[in-house]
Amino acid sequence: MGMTCWSVKRRINEYVDGRLRGSELSRFEAHLSECGECELRIDEVRSVRSSLRSLPATEMPADLRVRLRVRASQERVVLLETNGSRFLRFWNAWKFRLNEMMRPITIPATGGFISSIALFGAFALTFSTSTRVVAYDVPVVYAANMSANLVPIELQSSAVVTFSTDGSGRITDYAYSEGSKSVVGQTSRLQSNNISLPCIPNVMAIAQPISGDVRITFTPLVFRP
Amino acid sequence: MSEEDARILRGLRAGFEESYEELIARFEQPVYGMVYRLLGNQPDACDVVQEVFLKVFRSVHAFREQSSLRTWIYRIAVNEAHNHRRWFVRHCRLEVSLEQEDPDQPGTLQCAADPGRSPFEQAMDSETRVLVERALTRINPVFRTAVVLRDIQNLSYEEIADILQVSLGTVKSRILRGRDALRRELTERAEGLAEVMA
Repeated sequence: MGMTCWSVKRRINEYVDGRLRGSELSRFEAHLSECGECELRIDEVRSVRSSLRSLPATEMPADLRVRLRVRASQERVVLLETNGSRFLRFWNAWKFRLNEMMRPITIPATGGFISSIALFGAFALTFSTSTRVVAYDVPVVYAANMSANLVPIELQSSAVVTFSTDGSGRITDYAYSEGSKSVVGQTSRLQSNNISLPCIPNVMAIAQPISGDVRITFTPLVFRP
Repeated sequence: MSEEDARILRGLRAGFEESYEELIARFEQPVYGMVYRLLGNQPDACDVVQEVFLKVFRSVHAFREQSSLRTWIYRIAVNEAHNHRRWFVRHCRLEVSLEQEDPDQPGTLQCAADPGRSPFEQAMDSETRVLVERALTRINPVFRTAVVLRDIQNLSYEEIADILQVSLGTVKSRILRGRDALRRELTERAEGLAEVMA
């Protein structure tokens, strides 16, 4: 059975490259002897192929030859040093890069680090926000100007209250640290009636008032007539 | 793999200087020729060839010897050229070279003169060469690679399939379409030239 033009077109390259064999080749050539169009097409493919083959060999530049040999020499040295280990090659390459990257910045970085440590050390003590507990052993319920209509708080036993103060020494909040169960009475009155009376001094850090906590221990005093 | 390939590989793995030299001497010219045809540019071809050999030296221990040394090196070269072209398209396509490339200038395309031919024939040869080279750079890089490997490097279909890591059918298809595209390009150029001459 003869080939169609479509079949021939698909096999043109193989024919031109000498890859057709046996009956396929005979049928192909039989079609060519009858079809001028396919023959023309084969001539065109041959022409393209011969044009490509006739392109002159591109001579490589002399400096590339030298560069290749230099790289080969370098790679050979690395191979002998690392004994073909990819890990060692990778590690050495990174060590080299890191070294090259860090070397220029080592002295400035060390100087900066030491300077910052020295400066921080000089001011470290002033950064502390802890406040000294002022021992105000004042029986506050005995404050002279206490309003008569206020209900004082009765303490059954000692209680420790932590007061939060702002930069001006004003009490902004309070919480019972210990002994809250010993408080009897209306605790909401604690701040306004009694505890706001003592003057809590400002806490300063680097010449600036700061907020902080003050812990005060209340101990009930019993007066016997 | 041939005995010669195996010997070169053993030498490369052991770090023998002669093996490095032998490998370079055997493959530098064909690899350069192929890469040059794939990229159509001498400086880029030089960079890529250098990268190809660097990869060969560095991955010689990882080469599993399932193909010939030539196929392996050509595969690396094709991939490197492909990567370079992609990189170029992404980064440098808007750049303009300060050096005007003139393909007719000797040195850019170093064409060996044939003293036996007349000046007219030489001029025609030069014209045809430039025409073919330009047409080659205009076709799809995928088809160009197949055509260059077949018609310029003279590799078999099976070797091309191995290098490109595609099926034999794909190689046939790419060669067919590559030659067809070249034929169309050359026909258009030739017709344009004929109109100018008329």
